[in-house]
Amino acid sequence: MKFETLMLLLTLFAPIIGGFVYGVERIVKARMQSRVGPPLMQPFYDFFKLMDKRPLMVHSLHAVMGIMYFIACWFSLLVLFLGNDLLVAVFFHVIAVLALTIGAFSVRSPYSVIGAMRELMHMISYEPLMVLMVVGFYQVVGSFNLKDILNYDGIPLLQLPVVFMAFVLAIPMMLHKSPFDVAEAHQEIIGGPEIEYSGPFYEAVYTGKWIEYVYVFFFVFLFGGSHYWLGALLVLFVFLFVNALDNATARLDFRKMVKFSWFVLIPVSAFNIIFLALWR
Amino acid sequence: MGIFTKFRKKSPWILHYNTGGCNGCDIEILAALAPKYDIERFGMLNRGNPKQSDILLVTGPVTKRCRDVLRRLYLEMPEPKVVVAMGACAYGGGIFRDFYHVENGVDNIIPVDVWIPGCAPRVEAVIDGMVEAVKIWEKKSKEKEYMRNHSEELLEQLGARNDD
Repeated sequence: MKFETLMLLLTLFAPIIGGFVYGVERIVKARMQSRVGPPLMQPFYDFFKLMDKRPLMVHSLHAVMGIMYFIACWFSLLVLFLGNDLLVAVFFHVIAVLALTIGAFSVRSPYSVIGAMRELMHMISYEPLMVLMVVGFYQVVGSFNLKDILNYDGIPLLQLPVVFMAFVLAIPMMLHKSPFDVAEAHQEIIGGPEIEYSGPFYEAVYTGKWIEYVYVFFFVFLFGGSHYWLGALLVLFVFLFVNALDNATARLDFRKMVKFSWFVLIPVSAFNIIFLALWR
Repeated sequence: MGIFTKFRKKSPWILHYNTGGCNGCDIEILAALAPKYDIERFGMLNRGNPKQSDILLVTGPVTKRCRDVLRRLYLEMPEPKVVVAMGACAYGGGIFRDFYHVENGVDNIIPVDVWIPGCAPRVEAVIDGMVEAVKIWEKKSKEKEYMRNHSEELLEQLGARNDD
C-alpha cells in the first residue's frame, strides 16, 4: 500500500521533477561552455509563458497528436511506476512516440515530415535495446515485475554490465542528445517533429519531453536493484556522462546511428544475455 | 492580463531574420549568445522557428526578394509578439537607401516596436533594445492582431505583379 502511494505521487509530480532535471541540464550545459546559464526555474518560466500565447494550430489532428504524446508519455510512466510489467511500459512508450510521429506526418511542412521519418529511425535504433534490457532484467531477477526488481538482493549491474553500457549509449538516441540527435537537429531541421506546434500545443510536446527524462533515468535507477544509493549514483553518473557527450560531439548521420545500434549495441547486449542464460 | 503575464519577461524567445544586410549585425547577435555576454541567462533563446518565438529581430534593408518572406514570418508568429529592427539599414535602408532592389527599411513592410541604432550596434545596445522590447511585450494582449495598412499594401502589390 505504501509503495503504491509513493509511486502514484511520483507519477503525479513527474512533470515537475522532469522540469527540474531539464533546468539542471541547461545550467550544466552552460557551465560546460563557460557561460552563466539560465536560472534553475527556467523551464517553468517557459511553460508559463507558452500558456499565455494565442493558440494557433495547423489542423485539429496535429494538435490532438501533440497532446496525445504528452498523455501517452505520462501514462507509460504510470504503468511503469505502479509495479506492472516492464515490457508493457516499454510498449506504451512506443505509443507515445508514434503519436508524435503521426502528428508530424500529418502536416505539409517538409521539415516536420523529415523529422518524423528520422524519429522512426530513432525508434528502430533504441526500441530493440529497451526490450533486450527488460529481458536481461528477467534473466537476473526472474520476473518482469517492478516490485521484484526493486526488492532484488543482488546488483543487476554486476550481471548486466554490457547491457548497461549499451543502454547508456542508447540514452542520447532516446532523449535526442548530440551524437544521435538527427530527429531534432536544431540547426538543420529546426526541431523536426515539433516544428509546427505553437503556444499551448507546443507546451504539451515540451512537457512530454520532461516526462521522458524521468522515464529514461528511472530505468538507469533499476540497475541498482534494492541498493537505492547505487541506483542514485548511477543516475548521477549517467546524467553527467550524457551531458558531456552531448557537448563534446557533433551530430552523426542517421545511417551511422542505426548501424551503431544494430551492429554494435544490440549484438553485444544479446551476447551478455545469452552468456548469462548459459551460465545459470 | 492573466496570471501568467508576469512570467513573460522571464523567457523571451527570439527569431532572428537577416533581410539582406552585410552580416555585421548578425555577428553581433552571435556575440550576444556567446560566453562573454550570454543572453541565455535572461532566458532568451534563439529559436529558428516563428511559431514558437516572441520577438522578431530583423536586420538589414528589406530587399525585394525578402519582402514576402519577412511578412510571412511576422504573420506566422502567434500573438503577443514584438518586432525589433536592428542596425542602420533596417531604419530607412541605411547606405542601401533608394537602391533599385531595396524596400527602404523594415517599417515599410511590418510594424516595428523598437529600433536599435548603430552600424553595427554593439552587443550592449542589442541587450538594451531587448529590454525595451520586453517592456512593450508585457503590455500587449494575446488577441489576434490584424495588419491594417500593410495588408492593403500587400494586395495592391500582388495586383500590380499580376498585371506585369
